[in-house]
Amino acid sequence: MNVLVLLRLTPDPASEFEILQDGAGIDYEWVDYKLNEFDDHALQEAILLKESCSATVTVVATGEGAVRALQMAAARGADDVFLLEYEGDAFLNSRRLATNLAGWAREHDVNLILSGVQAGEDLFGQFVPFVGAALDWPHVSGSSCLSLSDDTLSVAVETGGGTVTSYSMSLPAVVGVQTASRAPPYVTGSMLREAMNVPIGTVDPVDDIVHENVEIASVTLPPQANAEILGEDADDAAGKVVRILADAGLIAGKPQ
Amino acid sequence: MKLLVCAEARLGELDRVSLELLQAARGIARDGDEVTALVVADGGNSAAQHLGAADRLVLALDPVLAIPTAEAYRRILCDVTASYQPDLVLIAYSTTGLGIAADLAFRADLPLVAYVTGLQRSEHSISATAQVHGGKILANVDIGGPAIVMINPGVFEEIASSQVDSASIVNHDPKANLKDLGVRLTGEESPEPTGSDVVDLEAAERIVCVGRGIGDEHGIPELRRLAVLLSAELAGSRPIVDNGWLPKHLQVGKSGRTVKPRLYLALGVSGAPEHLEGMARSDLIIAVNTDPQAPIFGVAHYGAVCDVYSFAVALSSRLDDG
Repeated sequence: MNVLVLLRLTPDPASEFEILQDGAGIDYEWVDYKLNEFDDHALQEAILLKESCSATVTVVATGEGAVRALQMAAARGADDVFLLEYEGDAFLNSRRLATNLAGWAREHDVNLILSGVQAGEDLFGQFVPFVGAALDWPHVSGSSCLSLSDDTLSVAVETGGGTVTSYSMSLPAVVGVQTASRAPPYVTGSMLREAMNVPIGTVDPVDDIVHENVEIASVTLPPQANAEILGEDADDAAGKVVRILADAGLIAGKPQ
Repeated sequence: MKLLVCAEARLGELDRVSLELLQAARGIARDGDEVTALVVADGGNSAAQHLGAADRLVLALDPVLAIPTAEAYRRILCDVTASYQPDLVLIAYSTTGLGIAADLAFRADLPLVAYVTGLQRSEHSISATAQVHGGKILANVDIGGPAIVMINPGVFEEIASSQVDSASIVNHDPKANLKDLGVRLTGEESPEPTGSDVVDLEAAERIVCVGRGIGDEHGIPELRRLAVLLSAELAGSRPIVDNGWLPKHLQVGKSGRTVKPRLYLALGVSGAPEHLEGMARSDLIIAVNTDPQAPIFGVAHYGAVCDVYSFAVALSSRLDDG
């Protein structure tokens, strides 16, 4: 049983973003990159499958800081790690990634592909359904629990309002993970240091995939916040909130 | 121009997001355009009672489609798209939509724009406004030919529900699409927590919701204390629940609960689109976050850009003093 995991390093959504002067893109100079959190859960789900059914876990990572993510993956138990380097995409091109990984999966006898259900910049579509279509494999997005028995994969998806929908699918298959069955573990510095010497292979990138019908005309920051900003002083803001709550009848009138 | 709206239904009930998609389509349609709605459902579906704003309704009905899998829906949609040749396909950013949009895009070789929050029409093209990086950046995308757009729920108002003219209904027999499906639905349940401390978030009048910005779980007791002082329920965004710091039934957002309390105090919640979908219609939203760009400030009525714990301690102290 061979599991392939895709990890994407994308701009940290907590970053303070700035737009280039011509409005054509984001100024990435001061942006931090981090592992897409859903991909982190996908890696964890793969490692859990390794523990439960002796799966072999191969990890491919792409994006700024991917080497460190691969070392982290090795520290957590990945058997093989590969770097996929891209240049030139304004945003993550999931269709291109899918074409790449589909080719890899075919060549390497992969039975299951896991990745995060979405990423912060997959503006042109999500990886999992793209790669499922590219391989013509069944796929499910939004998994919160995964188990394997006799080559049948059971997947639970939380569909909102507390409802959980369960599916079964035969391998080969693709799953977009939202939450791992068990939270990803903390990786210690010593584990990371041990993994620094793990050999990292490379995956040759495919050409960019361009749809000429669609073009990013500009990027902008969202319109000014609707919220009336109460300031940056916590104590002062708390005082104002007390007045707002009292005015709304949510608390009795309070001394300020 | 031909616009195809992918309506969603479960167990005979139309999902309200279908009416939002129809509103989005009608908003850019002009005289002479045609808006078609596709419904994939079981035979008892009542979609025709609601989708009258469409010019045409394609019904793909089969008892096994009471809860359609994304795979079944996508196969039917591929067939309908191939024969109808729409200029724009509108799909919801929903659990089902996630499974069908990019798959259709690949197989039909159509471009896809996801996380769309606005559509505009000019003489020769359509442009879409779409969220990137959890809503902190907006991309304005020109669409010059056939394409798929995936629309965030809760962005467009629902179009008024009305009966479809029976002459406008076309039936699509889905039997051929349902052979040898790779994904099988094995069950659906809504496990409710039991016990005396059960919290019904959907009925709560006041909610204090904590998000990733609280840092770690050690601060939760302090924030719980504030919730108690406000007579509010303590809830969490998805990362808080994923980390096991609060139980699943206390999660607000797309894969959790949709709430509409009188007071929603968001502490350290960035406001990813999936979270906003679950709480944006609350009566009074107050957000506290150190990041002035946090999208939560886009829906909040009041905001404070400061440390969550300093704020919580200060507010608790004032409520205590009262």
